[in-house]
Amino acid sequence: MAKTYQYCVAENWGKGFIDHVESSKITFAGYPANVWQVPAYNKHGNLWIAKVAGVVKTKDEAQAIVDAEVQAAQAAWDALPDAEKAPAVEMNTRPTDITLEE
Amino acid sequence: MAEYKGIHGTKVQDYTTDPDNPITGQVWYNETANTIRVEAQTTAGAWATGGNLNTGRSALGGAGTQTAAIAAGGFTPVSPYNQSVTELYNGSSWTEVADLAQARRSLAAAGTSTAAIFFAGIRPGDTVLGNTESWNGSAWTEVNNLNTARRGCGGNGTQTAALAEGGNTYPGGNIANVESWNGSSWTEITDTNSAKNDTAAAGTQTSALVFGGSSPQALTESWNGSAWTEVNDLNTARSALGGVGTDNTSVLGFGGYTYPGFTANTEEWNGSSWTEVNNLGTARYALAGAGTPSSALAFGGGNTGPTRLAATEEWTGAGAPVIKTITTD
Repeated sequence: MAKTYQYCVAENWGKGFIDHVESSKITFAGYPANVWQVPAYNKHGNLWIAKVAGVVKTKDEAQAIVDAEVQAAQAAWDALPDAEKAPAVEMNTRPTDITLEE
Repeated sequence: MAEYKGIHGTKVQDYTTDPDNPITGQVWYNETANTIRVEAQTTAGAWATGGNLNTGRSALGGAGTQTAAIAAGGFTPVSPYNQSVTELYNGSSWTEVADLAQARRSLAAAGTSTAAIFFAGIRPGDTVLGNTESWNGSAWTEVNNLNTARRGCGGNGTQTAALAEGGNTYPGGNIANVESWNGSSWTEITDTNSAKNDTAAAGTQTSALVFGGSSPQALTESWNGSAWTEVNDLNTARSALGGVGTDNTSVLGFGGYTYPGFTANTEEWNGSSWTEVNNLGTARYALAGAGTPSSALAFGGGNTGPTRLAATEEWTGAGAPVIKTITTD
């Protein structure tokens, strides 16, 4: 089956990293560890990866990078004082795993 | 294949001149020009990256516009956890300025980058706060507290006319309590129909919308200055989302916590229903927002990483529709 997405690692430097023209042409999805997902076999996606000097990764490579970041986040959460895990901090639940799409 | 009449309920009409108020997507035949024309959307709304916060954090407060915003407070997963950091955005970069007097997270805000109030929240040791601090562009001043201390409430309006909606009174529960700020003190007014926490609010003191909340919910309530009315739900239930708006007829909601995950989903409110539009580039929860539905800013938040996000995104709304000629060339 042809893949739907391609992945790269690129650090978001802020303004201009993704501009409105790029954003209106393709759908971006940012993940932990500076992993970005853009459509595969797409001219605009390829141009953007070149612009941001993205390091292209296979889906499995990207998944491994995200997994390592999530596991670090889970370890950091586990080390939090109990008060910071209190029920009042609903959003501060233990980070959950992320599964990238093909 | 569906026909135009089946979709629009009418055949393509002939006109001698273009209709005065066509709706987006309407097709007609211009007899004078001998052309088929359409009322087309020029551009869809989209997010682009903006300058990164100096201190990445979630559960922060935000106010202002896309080119002049303020961010204060928040949470980082390393000590000191609750933040007092304040930053100002100039349309391209954030600059750190004077700290809040009370470090806290899950606070709310109203106003502009030169005249704002930040209120409520929770501080280390999980004590909910009624504290209100007023910002004059360069310094914070403690002003009168909310009557009911809370975290995770909605906040909207201006430095002199704001609303605080709902929240959580930990260790108490979620509340429907609403308070109105007149520039010097808070007064309890009509409750929302349902209790809500980690909700978003937008608009003015007399025309507002409150939407989303734990755990997570899609409920939306509209305020006309005297009563809350439940209106159509968000398409995606969520809490800890960002929201901006001009009044109860024009609002943008984005991001949020969908338990156990989080979303990049963005929705636009037109006064009667929510429509899904283009997603944030980075899915996140507990983010802040500033600006308007046509020119918004989203900043901070969390997305599972070991740190909190510094990323800022700038929303430019859909362009005004224009008449285009359909050709086969």
